[in-house]
Amino acid sequence: MKELNCIKRHNHSIWEHRDLQATAMSVDWTGQWVLRAGRRHLALQKLDENEDSSLKKYHRNSKYDVSAAEWAICENSQEYCAIATSQLIEVVTWSSGDPTLIYSLRAHTRMVTDIDWHSKEPHLLASCSIDTFTHLWDLRDPRKPILSLSAVCMSGATQVGFNRVSGNLLATAHDGDLRIWDIRKGSCPQQYITAHLARIHGINWSHNHEHYLTTASQDGTVKYFDVNNSRRAEKIITVSSPVWRARYTPAGNGLITVVVPHLGRGENSLLLWNNNKQTEPVCSFEGHTDVILDFAWRPNRDSSSTDIELITWSRDQTLRLWKIDESLLRLCDPPQQETEDEAADMQLGSWSTVKTVRKNPSSKSLTEQPSCSLQHEFSLLNTNISHIDFEVLDPIKRHALVKVSANGHMIVLEINFPSNYPSPNVPPEFIFCENSSINDSLSISLLKVLKTHALQRVKKGRTCMEQCLRALVTALKRSTGGGDKTQLRLQSPRLEGALSGTLHDACIPFPKTSGAKFNTSGLFVTFSQPLNTKRISLRRQNITPRALSAISGGYLGNVMGSQPVLYAHRDTSTSAFYIQDRHRKNFRSRSSQRASSNAVINVYDVTKLLNISKTLSEQYILDKTNIVRTCRHNKAVAETTDRPELIQAWNLAEMIASSCTPEDIVYGNLFQTNPFQRHLLNSLITHFAKHGDIQTAVMLCCTFDKFCSKPEPHQGYGHNSVSISPAHSPYHTINPVEFSNDHSWNLAMQVKQLRSNSWSDSLDWTELKQLNNEINRSTFKKCQKNLFDSFIKAYAEVLFSWGLLPARAMVLKHLSSPSDAVKGVEFPIECVFCNRVNKGPSCSNCKRLLLRCTICRIPVKGAANACLNCGHGGHTEHLKKWFETRDMCAAGCQCRCLDESQHVLNDLLQL
Amino acid sequence: MVTLLNTIDTGHEDMIHGAEVDYYGLRLATCSSDNSVKIFDIKNGSQTLVADLKGHGGPVWQVAWAHPKYGNILASCSYDRKVIIWKESGDWVKLYEYGNHDSSVNSVAWAPADYGLILACGSSDGSISILTCNVEFGTWDSKKISNAHTIGCNAVSWCPSTVPEPGFDQKTIRSGNIKRIASGGCDNCVKIWKEDQDRWVEESRLEAHSDWVRDVAWAPSIGLPRSQIASCSQDRRVIIWNSEDLTTWTPLILHTFDDVVWNVSWSLTGNILAVSGGDNKVSLWKENNENQWTCISDDSNASSGASEQRAL
Repeated sequence: MKELNCIKRHNHSIWEHRDLQATAMSVDWTGQWVLRAGRRHLALQKLDENEDSSLKKYHRNSKYDVSAAEWAICENSQEYCAIATSQLIEVVTWSSGDPTLIYSLRAHTRMVTDIDWHSKEPHLLASCSIDTFTHLWDLRDPRKPILSLSAVCMSGATQVGFNRVSGNLLATAHDGDLRIWDIRKGSCPQQYITAHLARIHGINWSHNHEHYLTTASQDGTVKYFDVNNSRRAEKIITVSSPVWRARYTPAGNGLITVVVPHLGRGENSLLLWNNNKQTEPVCSFEGHTDVILDFAWRPNRDSSSTDIELITWSRDQTLRLWKIDESLLRLCDPPQQETEDEAADMQLGSWSTVKTVRKNPSSKSLTEQPSCSLQHEFSLLNTNISHIDFEVLDPIKRHALVKVSANGHMIVLEINFPSNYPSPNVPPEFIFCENSSINDSLSISLLKVLKTHALQRVKKGRTCMEQCLRALVTALKRSTGGGDKTQLRLQSPRLEGALSGTLHDACIPFPKTSGAKFNTSGLFVTFSQPLNTKRISLRRQNITPRALSAISGGYLGNVMGSQPVLYAHRDTSTSAFYIQDRHRKNFRSRSSQRASSNAVINVYDVTKLLNISKTLSEQYILDKTNIVRTCRHNKAVAETTDRPELIQAWNLAEMIASSCTPEDIVYGNLFQTNPFQRHLLNSLITHFAKHGDIQTAVMLCCTFDKFCSKPEPHQGYGHNSVSISPAHSPYHTINPVEFSNDHSWNLAMQVKQLRSNSWSDSLDWTELKQLNNEINRSTFKKCQKNLFDSFIKAYAEVLFSWGLLPARAMVLKHLSSPSDAVKGVEFPIECVFCNRVNKGPSCSNCKRLLLRCTICRIPVKGAANACLNCGHGGHTEHLKKWFETRDMCAAGCQCRCLDESQHVLNDLLQL
Repeated sequence: MVTLLNTIDTGHEDMIHGAEVDYYGLRLATCSSDNSVKIFDIKNGSQTLVADLKGHGGPVWQVAWAHPKYGNILASCSYDRKVIIWKESGDWVKLYEYGNHDSSVNSVAWAPADYGLILACGSSDGSISILTCNVEFGTWDSKKISNAHTIGCNAVSWCPSTVPEPGFDQKTIRSGNIKRIASGGCDNCVKIWKEDQDRWVEESRLEAHSDWVRDVAWAPSIGLPRSQIASCSQDRRVIIWNSEDLTTWTPLILHTFDDVVWNVSWSLTGNILAVSGGDNKVSLWKENNENQWTCISDDSNASSGASEQRAL
């Protein structure tokens, strides 16, 4: 190791405990107690310099090492200490002398790697784990995390740190990447920072500055980041060995690092740095003979002393206490000339009351006169930057020539400083001289780097040369093997994550073992595990996990390849997870297969809950010739159910109806004599609709709608002998299903007769026209009509699913606007005399009737059918009867209608 | 009030993850961790195994029946990253297989029949696929909303096509025939997507859950000018979202349950909500006149409720 050119200090006190084998250490809020936790012991030691053996050991026997132990750092919760072992976090206190378990925090599915307490909220702590999640716990509700931060990545979280200033930000480390979260909005990270190329071992937020943090990494660097400007590190300390920890000094402007020497053993592993000088440490603390496992600042509750004390625990099984006095701290302070904002913000203060003092920036820029500052800058320049040789530094000509050699490249850089440099927006001019060994694309990107850094600095009126040169070296070093790729990696860790699809497998939701689902016809299906297989033992401590990885955790993060690794290892499958308990309870061993298939599916009829009844819709009538009788009948039907409100509704309906004559309804005068009735009816309908009882709402609507006013002899369902459904009419020679897509077929054939395949259209078209003229006199207002139409459609859908097609057709007739265009084969009808295509039974031009039934010779208005070949046709009923026994056309045209129609359709289908 | 019609022993060899009754209430489809989908005839209380569909290479999470006007069609989605659409044409056969997801497909939902034969699928790869069938040619077209939910999408549900028409007041809410989908995912959000020409764009983002959203259900509409969405989450809560204009949604916490909530389902008129969760309990909820939600299937309550609980 390079001999360090710095002050050396030795430890102030030392305690040796050979048998502790502790892996974690923490100092409590008072600064008096040190906890060391290991697999076999918890050891509590009072840091009283007079006594040497104030160690209390508590035996614990655990299979696992303690991965982290942290005392709470708030005064209100100072007695709490969180200890993480494997997947579990235990919060203990020593109030009774022995460690007492207060809370058990379970949610992680893999080993917990780090714990951090919130510095302001005494109940809040964060934990992170290999399972990639970071959980936030509120000790007032320890059953589950109050917030779970999910990092979409392959690597688990190894470090977690709360922001010490605001407490809202949280940093987590995932391999070499940092995620910055805002706990007020935890659904996704606020920032992704690709900080290091190797694993981050330590995160530490600044005590004074909200946005500053440092990271210590395996790659042998410590980086200072400003999370508001995280594209690159602000400053970098480079050492030759992996850095285990880097922590800001609680006061002053220093940073302590713990380095892990390559060979495991070595001196100089504990170093103090000046935050403004990354080239060499201020002080080296010597004493430990092995790797330092952890260190902590000893809170100084006694304000008489301003010394800071550092406690370290090393693998050499010694606990050492070091004092950092003011003289050392002062060394960390920046020389006045090199003042930077963050340095200015720091000031010596007591442990608990660190105040941020901001220097007035305007006063600073006044003191820095541009002309003299170039000379000044050159004189302050650290000429020992690696990879850089300064050839010329001429403050008079405002010119510098620098030779940079790194990564196989050699660059000669000429820098010219404008006269008003470094005032804002006046960066120096950078030129690569001809003998530089870089290609054009690289030089462009390097110039860009130089320019951005220069601009960043001069924007604030600061000098920029050294920073630019350092950035240049870094950029040059990175340029190997396609610098673009590195750029990509820096810019979009999200993209990078998305490239490996398998990582998504980590977040497949936990399989549902129960469910409930309604269907359209009023059935309700449920399934669930039988009660005795409930995970009773699990219930106590844990709610159901959310991700499948909880049971197939072994595959988490290493499921590579195009095909998923199924959780098909049956012994660890879902069922096994549930059956465990069953085995415990059921000593008569049954096969697990049997047990798992026990889930039973129940199908319920819930129509009664839905306020819609199939029996009612079967029995209700809708006789428009005698509305009073209809109401009375429907009331009688309603009496058979246990719904008194229906009886009342029909009573009221009867009263409304009985006060007017059928003629009133026919001619739309229903409510002219008594406007109150209209309101009553409206509010009745709305009431039922709002409660989901569209059945009653629609029946009331239809009963009083004058729409379908013409008395029809067979309108009551009782008399309705038609039993063919529109969808399965015998005259449909093809399955209607095949036709019902978005396009309809308009067959402009020589068919001159109407053949409607819609149940209701042909019946209603005349009334429809009337309605449009008389809408003002209608029972309901037009805007309501639209609403009522949708009720009718919804109810019709229910009736359809019940197979009550006649009832559905009756109801659909009351739609104010014709239902959707018929999808399927449509037959337009052309007037023989005027050659106009018409809809309806008579020609709109000459008023002649268009279709005469070939059998009864009466013009057809209702359901009609016609032969596709000869065009003869007539009433559906008549034709049906006719073709039951015959196959020749009734008109005597010698056409074999049934066969021919079939052929025509077949031909059409083949088109 | 609730009558048990049928209890079916499915004979699945592993956990059952989904069950759905078809449109007419005549058939039941179930799916399970044993990688199979089974179809039962449940007419008049019978239970005859009609088909045992094997085709998935992993646990099957959910099944969904299409509207019968397109034939007897069933969609299933699985851990094996596939969606399979089955059709009965004599026998049950595979009509279409969709495999363009990078992770487990967790949810499938058919669009309202008026829109055509369209299926939405939500996957753990964070995307939602919309598969549209061209019925005439029997071809399938797929669109993808990529990165709909970071980390993963857990549920999808369609906005009913019976869009709220102008109501009792003159305020006009005409959504025409704009298709909408509600989805829930691991980013704790419920999102509403709307079809804009041939793209799907995020219309609203409903944030109130504090953990993964496990299911969303858009309430059927009978035409009243309001929309309701129920969502349930790992945070043990069920939230009812109400909106009158489809843009502002107000959350109402239905209840905080003892365990995580997995399923929400609306009755056909949208006045009852069924909830089931990790404790394997099913409860039914109804809104009273004061817009408060009450559980109508409590153990101690009506005898029917008790019998149901026992049956469960």
